[in-house]
Amino acid sequence: MTTLLEVKGLTKTFGAVQAVGGIDFSIHVGRCVALLGPNGAGKTTTIRMIAGLLSQTAGTMRFHGFVKGDYGKGKVHIGYLPQSPSFYNWMSGLEYAVYAGRLCGLPAGTALKRAKELLERVGLSGAAKRRIGSYSGGMKQRLGLAQALVHSPKLLIMDEPVSALDPIGRREVLGLLQELKEETTVLFSTHALHDAEELCDDVIIIRKGQIALQGNIAAIRNEHRKPIIELQLEQDEVSIKWFTDYKDRLSRWSDEAQEASFIQNIEQQGAAVRFTVREVDSARQHLLEVLTREKVKVSRLEIGHTSLEDLFMKVVAP
Amino acid sequence: MTSSFTRLLVMVQKELLELVRSLKLLWVPLVFVLLGVMQPASMYYMPLILEKAGNITEGAVIEIPQPLGSEVLAQTLQQFGTLGLLVLVLVGMSSVSGERNSGAASLILVKPIAVFSFTASKWTALLLLAWGSLSAGYLASWYYTGLLFGDVQASKVLGSLLVFGLWLSFAMTLTLFFSTLLRSSAAAAFSTLGTAAALSLLAGLLPKKLGWLPGSLSSFAYQTAVSDIANVSLFGWALACTFTLMAAALTGASWLLRRSSAID
Ligand SMILES: Nc1ncnc2c1ncn2[C@@H]1O[C@H](COP(=O)(O)OP(=O)(O)OP(=O)(O)O)[C@@H](O)[C@H]1O
Ligand SMILES: [Mg+2]
Repeated sequence: MTTLLEVKGLTKTFGAVQAVGGIDFSIHVGRCVALLGPNGAGKTTTIRMIAGLLSQTAGTMRFHGFVKGDYGKGKVHIGYLPQSPSFYNWMSGLEYAVYAGRLCGLPAGTALKRAKELLERVGLSGAAKRRIGSYSGGMKQRLGLAQALVHSPKLLIMDEPVSALDPIGRREVLGLLQELKEETTVLFSTHALHDAEELCDDVIIIRKGQIALQGNIAAIRNEHRKPIIELQLEQDEVSIKWFTDYKDRLSRWSDEAQEASFIQNIEQQGAAVRFTVREVDSARQHLLEVLTREKVKVSRLEIGHTSLEDLFMKVVAP
Repeated sequence: MTSSFTRLLVMVQKELLELVRSLKLLWVPLVFVLLGVMQPASMYYMPLILEKAGNITEGAVIEIPQPLGSEVLAQTLQQFGTLGLLVLVLVGMSSVSGERNSGAASLILVKPIAVFSFTASKWTALLLLAWGSLSAGYLASWYYTGLLFGDVQASKVLGSLLVFGLWLSFAMTLTLFFSTLLRSSAAAAFSTLGTAAALSLLAGLLPKKLGWLPGSLSSFAYQTAVSDIANVSLFGWALACTFTLMAAALTGASWLLRRSSAID
């Protein structure tokens, strides 16, 4: 697998604020990569440095063989869609897409042809001749995609491409991206794990400007997958007391061992109690015995697995 | 043709299209034509207007010597240097900052273009607008002056047009520079007008010592219209100084834009 983009120790500080604090990752040709993180994690800052709109405080980037002073030459192979794109409102969608193509070095005829193709593809051909000023947010996002793709870039970079859209617009754009990722390498940022899971091969989770976790999504899911047992208790005195006592013993588990060999962690979410377990069978056996003995009123008992969502929440939790 | 030059041309075309669509290419020249016509007309009818206005004791004869055509043209240039300049600066004040504030600039600057092309395309459009409006207004003024006051030599008109056009070009370059430096377009207009006024004032107060400043160009233009430039070597220095400053302002604007960490 060839590396398209390699980022090493990328850092950006704004005055006293460190927005991005030394991150390393690489993107291979043909992959779809999500840059995932909560608000303020440094996604936009990272993406703008990669797009060449912001110069880094420290660190190096190598894109398609271009480094340092040459990095700007790589721009021909990058398509960029910002978080909330703004265009020239007095132009029509078609004029803008043609203009973008021409700025990327396409001859007039080719630019027009490509612009029409792409507007058709993103579903804007009906509105191609209308002023951009009259477009809705979703239409602008789709025009943003069209203008980013007009020169067939090797890397498509998008900053939160679906965050500002309604559910229908989101579906449409996600569908488009599903097709596009077959044709080019894609890097996009998002704060929703769901989008990353749906589209991407790889994920880079960042938090406070640092990489918290990165790798292949499927691999991460398998690696961090842990069995869980979820209990729903009725809110009567006996049950509540049992749970409080049981949880109190948590601190002593490490010495006493027995339960500690199969129960790893215990969490309460409202009326539900969640046990992360090492071994399902003995934990289930143990819990059922205890619950019967103590006459705890259980309304539901469920065996499952931790989701990627749980991992994400754990990783990015403040 | 190199590809970067083609891209520059495409960007200039876009700027011109914007001037057309926003009707600026129509109304700015119209303002100049209006100013150019008003000057000879008002000077011609001034005695009549004063007479009609009354307040003049019976029998008093108004003796206002009729000015020469060339003097009327010089006064027209003065109008262009105040009201005309104001209009041009107001039109150009948000040319860069507007696009940066809206975020449209970042979508363009991320493309494989030189930042200098971005600045240069805006500069070219502003200069075309200034020269077009000035020429239209000055020709109109020349025509009416010819009708009302007598002919003025074409060479004088052309000479003063070129010199005065250079002054407006300088002012447009300043506008572009301040529009890149400052995020607020009002501040950019204010700085441009302030700098232009200060330069004119300095050159006017100390013509011998500071006559090489671009601020003296407007008075060189009046001189060209009325008679001839008295101090040719000083004029040469003023030209050199103006061109140098314009090149510096353009380079500086591109540098600022490239360096600014907040192109969004
Ligand atoms: N121009 C700037 N000047 C000062 N601080 C900045 C600037 N841009 C970003 N920051 C800071 O850097 C941090 C990261 O910002 P960034 O915009 O990259 O986050 P993000 O992950 O894109 O967040 P969001 O999901 O809200 O878009 C934030 O704390 C922000 O306040
Ligand atoms: Mg962001």
